[in-house]
Order: sequence, then structure tokens, then C-alpha cells
Amino acid sequence: MRRVQLSVVVPVGKRVDDIESLHYDYRRGLDRCGITYEMIYVLDGDRDEGRKLAELRTRGEPIEIIRLGRSFGEATALMVGFANAHGAKLMTLPAYFQVDSNEFPKLLAAAADADLVVAHRWPRRGSRFETLRRSAFHGLLRAITRQSFHDLGCGVRIMRRRVAKEITIYGDQHRLLPVLAAQQGFAVREVEVAQSPQDDFRGRYRLREYVHRLLDLFTVFFLTRFTKKPLRFFGMIGSATFAAGALFVAILIVQRMLFGMPLADRPALLLSCLLLVLGVQLFALGLLGELIIFTHAKDLKEYKVADVIEAPGRRGERKGAAVPDAGAAARGPDFPGITKATSG
Amino acid sequence: MSGRRPGGEARSSARTAAGKHRQDVELSIIVPLYNEEANVRPLWEAIRSAIAPTGIAYEVLLVDDGSSDATLAAAAALPAVHPEVRVVKLRRNYGQTAAMAAGIEHARGRVLVTMDGDLQNDPLDIPRFLETMQQGYDIVVGWRHDRKDKFWTRKLPSRIANRLIGKVTGVPIRDNGCSLKAYRADVIKKIPLYSEMHRFIPAMASLAGPRLAEIKVRHHARRYGTSKYGLSRVYRVLLDLLAVKTIIGFASRPAGWFALLAFPALVASAASLAASFYRLVALDEPFSTTIAGIGVLFGALAFFLIMIGMIGELVYKTGDSREDRLSMLTAQRVAACRDAVLTEREET
Repeated sequence: MRRVQLSVVVPVGKRVDDIESLHYDYRRGLDRCGITYEMIYVLDGDRDEGRKLAELRTRGEPIEIIRLGRSFGEATALMVGFANAHGAKLMTLPAYFQVDSNEFPKLLAAAADADLVVAHRWPRRGSRFETLRRSAFHGLLRAITRQSFHDLGCGVRIMRRRVAKEITIYGDQHRLLPVLAAQQGFAVREVEVAQSPQDDFRGRYRLREYVHRLLDLFTVFFLTRFTKKPLRFFGMIGSATFAAGALFVAILIVQRMLFGMPLADRPALLLSCLLLVLGVQLFALGLLGELIIFTHAKDLKEYKVADVIEAPGRRGERKGAAVPDAGAAARGPDFPGITKATSG
Repeated sequence: MSGRRPGGEARSSARTAAGKHRQDVELSIIVPLYNEEANVRPLWEAIRSAIAPTGIAYEVLLVDDGSSDATLAAAAALPAVHPEVRVVKLRRNYGQTAAMAAGIEHARGRVLVTMDGDLQNDPLDIPRFLETMQQGYDIVVGWRHDRKDKFWTRKLPSRIANRLIGKVTGVPIRDNGCSLKAYRADVIKKIPLYSEMHRFIPAMASLAGPRLAEIKVRHHARRYGTSKYGLSRVYRVLLDLLAVKTIIGFASRPAGWFALLAFPALVASAASLAASFYRLVALDEPFSTTIAGIGVLFGALAFFLIMIGMIGELVYKTGDSREDRLSMLTAQRVAACRDAVLTEREET
């Protein structure tokens, strides 16, 4: 097996700039780093860029092209790329200009003592509205996760293999990769880099995008805060709702008893019972969540061991047991069922 | 979430490779450490002077739970000099339960002892735990009968909590909060520990039906560092308790548990519907949408709960912490030799 220092994965999805000039730009940046690397383009479905990339390959560019059977989304494309990468470190690059490729060495240097490095384009061009939208998203994220990021939309990241192995993302979740990695206890760093002069994203956001970003936040909220304690979450909301309903009912009954207000034609009674019912339902969902956690605790192990330090003589005995890299072979470099074209 | 972890086979083969070594480690002492830099060395000295004279082959697992002080450095210096010490470093701070679970996972001994890293437990008690284990118990828990803590903020709440936990879980232990406990490794390694369950380990372990003993232990006042407990967690403990009750009481028959919850809703529904019918027919009053509506509402709730119970059955069937597996841990061959535990046959 080839052992390269860096595997570069480029997911090619809906948004693509001219792939040829992009490729040569990336090559220039990577050559500056003075390391061995491989480049893997993952086509998210049947895309025209496939032909141009194949052409590049026949011209001798050392790239690998993987085509997914249909469009799965950028995150899945990344995962497939990672599964086929051989490098000690993994780098993701977008299929469009974002970061000035002259900054790659700086990113790589920062990745030396971090598990994941994500680029932060700064200073950043863009309208005031875009800036506001961005800071609103990251502000909400900070409030939820207590993690501070500034540019999760940036597709330039460098990480250790271990990170990609432990974190499963799919669909649209590639933006959350740094958040989830930090959640798993990896050291995540944000590095300020210059924006590419060709980065010309001009607010093509539609309503759908906003909904998706909100759903992202929702996902993060649950993954980071409550997956292990469903009853604490549902139980708290449920008991509050139930208490409100019970209080309401009590007031109505007091009014009936002391002031003779008839109950039968009061919609308020129905409303308060609705609150009671909702409270019980939330509680029941929390209990169901606890059952799921209990019966699947093995698959949902919450802690990660960074290292086991022991006397030198004992090192070998626990090979694989302490586990950060156990099962490297299990995932293997090859994915069945993927159309794959490898250069020379 | 990492989801499913690859490499299950790699781990099981590692276990057999370590099997030879496991036989010569009899006792593993697991100590979760969180910001206890001043306590690490005294703790190790205390453990060594307590255990070494007994001649037992032992190891000490210091689990660094993402400390922000020099705890890790202090602990990591030990293994090179004292090969009995192993340090498990967690990636970040996960809490005491997770730290214990990590220690339990990496322990090689046949008996596992857990204790606090703050020197409030006395390692001199450990030999007595081992003696009790040898009498055929699977779990031995400590009881700090002479606690050196403040009465109003620590001792009284803990006494109330212990009563409550004992009542609800049916495992009456006088001191759930005492970390000094001993377990047979086969049993505790199969019990799922997560969230803040360390308080409920005996209750959770009761799923496997272990023989449980309680012995008095010494308790010292804290020498270094500050306490990480407080009163603020009462409601969380209550919710956790309810979760544990659900699990140990009904994990194997969730449909029954939820049907039980559905019963009052069903009664309320029937009563409301009957009342609205009675008003209409017997009292000749106008039809009350409100009362009939309440009847339908509670009926829907009962239906919902029963459906949730069915999902619960599905969850239980697809999970791996099932009772048929847990029962194997403590099943004994009564007719033959009394102390032969079925699961130990693999090892001989």
C-alpha cells in the first residue's frame, strides 16, 4: 500500500467552479507544502466534471476519481473519499474557490498539534447581510454547544485519520464535522487564512437553505446535549407541562367549588387537560429514550480513551485493546460497489 | 456521534491475547481522577502500602478524566517506576461514571475495586473486601458508617437519597454514594454504565442477580483539593432514579410498563365519556363538548402510551443488554460444586 502523508478529498457536488483551474490552483498550493500527497475527487452522482477530471488524469495529473451511484450529498461524498484515502492525514477541499491556496502550508503547520484544523476565511468579503447571517448562525451554535466557530461553511479542513474514522456524517452534515469532532473530545482549531480572490459566492441562499441550517442546529443540539440523558430533557419539559396543566385544573375546580362556575361548558378545562396529556406523552418519550440508551449502551459508548500509559514492558500486551486505532483494517481502503478509476 | 465502532473482532482477539496476563492479575483498583494533582502520589502510596503486604497480584488503574491541572503528569510519571500502575487518559472530561466505565473496560483483574481519588476512602479496607468476595459474593459495597462530612449539606441529603433509592429500586443499600466497592469482573463488565449512573451501580447490577454484601469502611476528611459535589443536583438524581426504575423494573417488558401508565388515562377517559353520556340521557342537559372532549383526549393518551410500549418491545428485542444474557453472569450450578459459576467455564 502506498503511504502518503496527506490525502486530499474533493467532493464535487452541485456547486462547482471551473474544475481545471481549481485543480491547478490546489496543486500549486499543495506543492508548496513539501509533502507527499494524493488527490481524490468524489463525484456526487453523474456529473460533467467527471469528463474533465478524466482528461486531467490522462494528461498525467496524479488524481483518483470516484463516482457515487447517485447524489448522496457532500458529507457522504467526503466519507467515501476518506474510506479510500491512504494518507496519514486527510484534507478536505471544496470544489470551488474558498481559500487562497498559498495558505495551505500554514494550515498544515497548524494541523501538527491538533486533531482537526478548519480554515476561517479572514478578512472576508461579502455584503453586510451575509455577514449578519453568518454571525447569527455561529452565535446560535455557540449558545447551544458552547463551542466557538466563525466559518463552518468553509470546506477546507485537515484532520487525523482517527477523526474521520470515529465520526459519521451524512447528507448535509459536513459543516458540522468540526463541531462533532470537538464533541468527541478531539482538539479542534480554527485558523485564519486569506480568502481566495476567486471566491465569489454571492448570497445564493434560498429559504430551503435557511431551513436546513436550522435543522443542522437542531441536530447538534440533540447530539451534543441530550443523547445520553433523554429522561432529563423530556422529563423536565414534560413535568413542567404537566404541572401547568394540573395547576390549571386545580384553579378551575376551586372556581367550581367556591364560586359555582359550571365546568361543563368551559373550554379552559379541555385546554388544561390537553396540557396534562402532553406532559405525560413527553415523559413517556423520555422513558422510551432511556430504554433505547440502556439496551444499546454498547453502541453508544460515551467516553473516548486518548491513551493508556503503562510500564514499557506491558505495552505490547494491550495492543488493540485501548483502541483508538483498533479496526483500521475493518473499514479497509476499498468500498465495494463504487465506480472507481485510479491513475497509474 | 461515532455510531457503531468498527473493530469488534480486533478487540476480542486482544482479549484472548491478554488472557494469559489476566490470570496473574487478581485485583484491579480503579480510581477516577479529576483535578486531583495533590492526591495522586499519596493515593498511590496508600494503595501500595495497603495491598503489597497481602501478596496479591494487583494493578492500579488511574483514570484521568480530562483534568485541567497537573493530574495527568503526576499519574503518568508512576508507571515507569511502578509497573503496577496503568494510566487511562480520557480525551476530555466526561464525568465520574464514564471514567469508572473506562477503568472497568481496561481492567484485567478478576476482582475490580473502585474508589475515589480524593483519599476519603481508605485502601486499608480493600483486603476486607477481597475476603468478603471470597465468601462467594459478586458485589461488595462499602458503608461509610462514620462519615466525615458536613451534616446538613452532605450527610442528611445523602441519607434521604439512600432511603429513596433503596425503596424505589428494591436494592436497600445504606450508602450508595460510597465509591469504595468491589465487583467480580465478569459481572460488572457486562452492566451498561453511562450518564451519571455510578450512584446506581448496585441497582443496575441487580439486573444480573448478583449476591451482594455491605461492609463498613473507614472514611477520612478531605486532605487536598476541593469537593466536586453539591446540593444542586437533586432533581437530576430524581429523574435518573426514575430512569433506573424503568430499566430494572421493566426493561424486559416495556409494553407492560407503559400499559400500566396507560391505565389511569383509560380510567379518566371512560369516566369522562360516561359522565357526558349520563348528563345527556339522565339529566337531560345539553351535550357538553368539553367533557366528551376530555374523554377522547385521555383515550388518545392511553392509546399513545400503549403504542409507545410496543416500540419499547422492539427496542428491547434489538438491544444487547437483554436479561437472558445478564442472567448467565451469575447463574450457578447448584447441584454440583457450589462456587462454580457457569460463565467461568470458558476460562478453565
